[in-house]
Amino acid sequence: MKQLVIHDPTLRDGQHAVRHQLGLTAIRRYAEAADAARIPVVEVGHGNGLGASSLQVGLAAASDDEMLSTVREALLHSRMGAFMLPGWGTSEDLRRAIGHGVDVFRIGVHATEASLAERHLGFLRDAGAEAHCVLMMSHMASAGELAEQAARAVGYGAQAVGIMDSAGHFLPADVTARIGAIVGAVDAVPVIFHGHNNLGMAVANSVAAADAGALIIDGCARGFGAGAGNTQLEVLVPVLERSGYATGIDLYGLLDAADLAERELMPAPPVTASMSIVSGLAGVFSGFKHRVVELSAAAGVDPRDVFFELGRRQTIAGQEDLIVDVVSELSSRKTGG
Amino acid sequence: MEQPRTPKDEDNVHGNLRTGCGEANQQYSPLPLTPSADLPPRVPRRHTLSPTAGLRSARPEVAEPVTVAVIGTGAIGRDLVSKIDRSPALECRLVAGRNPESAGLRYAESLGYPTTAGGIEAVLAAPRPFDVVFDATSAASHRVHWPLLEPLGTLVIDLTPSKVGQMVAPTVTGVSPATGRNVNLISCGGQAAVPVVHALAARFPVSYFEVVSTVASTVAGRATRMNLDEYVATTGHAVTTFSGVTAVKAILNISPAVPPATFRTAVRARTVGADPVAVRAVVDQVAEQVRSFAPGYEVVSCTAVDDLVTITLRVTAHSDVLPPYAGNLDIINSAAVMVAEQYATRPDRMSRTGVAS
Repeated sequence: MKQLVIHDPTLRDGQHAVRHQLGLTAIRRYAEAADAARIPVVEVGHGNGLGASSLQVGLAAASDDEMLSTVREALLHSRMGAFMLPGWGTSEDLRRAIGHGVDVFRIGVHATEASLAERHLGFLRDAGAEAHCVLMMSHMASAGELAEQAARAVGYGAQAVGIMDSAGHFLPADVTARIGAIVGAVDAVPVIFHGHNNLGMAVANSVAAADAGALIIDGCARGFGAGAGNTQLEVLVPVLERSGYATGIDLYGLLDAADLAERELMPAPPVTASMSIVSGLAGVFSGFKHRVVELSAAAGVDPRDVFFELGRRQTIAGQEDLIVDVVSELSSRKTGG
Repeated sequence: MEQPRTPKDEDNVHGNLRTGCGEANQQYSPLPLTPSADLPPRVPRRHTLSPTAGLRSARPEVAEPVTVAVIGTGAIGRDLVSKIDRSPALECRLVAGRNPESAGLRYAESLGYPTTAGGIEAVLAAPRPFDVVFDATSAASHRVHWPLLEPLGTLVIDLTPSKVGQMVAPTVTGVSPATGRNVNLISCGGQAAVPVVHALAARFPVSYFEVVSTVASTVAGRATRMNLDEYVATTGHAVTTFSGVTAVKAILNISPAVPPATFRTAVRARTVGADPVAVRAVVDQVAEQVRSFAPGYEVVSCTAVDDLVTITLRVTAHSDVLPPYAGNLDIINSAAVMVAEQYATRPDRMSRTGVAS
């Protein structure tokens, strides 16, 4: 059987669903459960990664240092992962994270901006850490462009490279084409796929990715993540196993970890709410949901209009301040006739 | 290499013109580059002389303008050359890059300026030191360049976030460095945010500042991409230095949005009892001052809710070579050119060049 590496960002990407408010006890307990299930990599942090706690995207309940040291203590078998967006976090944040024992780093960049990762991939390689590069909002680039960007990332030192369907926009055929192109361009390193479930396709897309040659697949317990959530880990793993892939994960342990996550990490598991379907269709980052809904309600505009307008402007993560502009424009258009 | 070109359009008709641009910031009026409906009509430079200009002209009229060199031929260097070209007080004697094929060198050549692909070595090898050297390379390169340039007595104006020199934000610090010969322009986000955080902290009890800038991907060259760490550190350091607030967060987004996102900076301040009207008045006044040298600087939104003040600033470029959305480069380069123009009137320059005591 072909071996896959399952990468679990429940304690990082899930933070978007609870405004980065996971407490250290919940973080420790989930990390222990994931470790018991032998999930290979457990990623933790603020939803936007190292150094990102801010008013712009939300202040985290716990500091990076606290989250990393808590998870490090909880993991006996699993490797610890951390995520960073250049311009939000810096090499100093990476250095501290290395000090906390992070094994796998992911540098996230917009799909067409691999060159933004050059400095930090180089830094991590020099420091001897494992460095991955993920291309976010990958629906905004063609298969060919993604392959070219992925090859660049490998040139900068990435030891794995892949794509995030940040907006939950893909259908399986989209994934097959993109992962296939990337695998063809970077056959020396494993390829990553990270799905979101806005259109109910996350598991199917992940299987398509594995079939197209991806070797690292992301999933979160109960799909914990922004909006409609991520690929649901405890569904993903057995489906991959039935499809003929080995994950090395213990099924009962995995199900226990997912149950614990539902009880202790989240008020309720993500659902594919109407707004998530709209954001998936519009191709807008799911993490915008709370702010769009909040600001639209305050201004008396239809949040669906706001999402489609944000999509039209090709808004990307980090441009949260544009939500305010769009809401006020739609609002004045409405009142001004 | 071609000979330096001296004529600078019709503006350079009087030797004492640069006394006008050496005045306070408010006197600075870059020439109109493209017609823009949202700007007041430009006043030709020769009409901007203040009443004090006569006093300055009492000094011997030094025939030679300030000689400058530009290192770095990326988007910043290119726009700098265009702004220097517009300045009657500055004379570009060398544009130095590394890549002989770079568009920046070709642009400088097209304006008739001497160019070289010999980088810093060519600048150092000049028979006579330049009065001013603009460094538009990268933070790491600047740290190498400065020890080489320092012995020459040249004024070095650093456009990288190297943190080496004395930080200048024109409306806050003035443009005449009190000490030293290395002036640092902080960062584009720093130029946009520092005037606002300085004014807010002077007026309200601010406990935390956050400065989030967004620049279009198409105007973020390789040096910018490689310097994100320095950008974050230097911008945060400047916010603390000029506001006294130590809890500070700086973030830079490189946005690939299409059409390109106009440079913007969101400033958030945690404070107590900030009246929205009072905040708006402070910010509007700051913006008016900054527009004296960066005419595309505007306040997009300004709110004060509970303990949080949020101000969004946008800078549109007014430049021969930049697209309007590249306000990030426009504001930092406009500030840099002002520093050089101010230097043109300084007595210590005269002493260095041996013209006066």
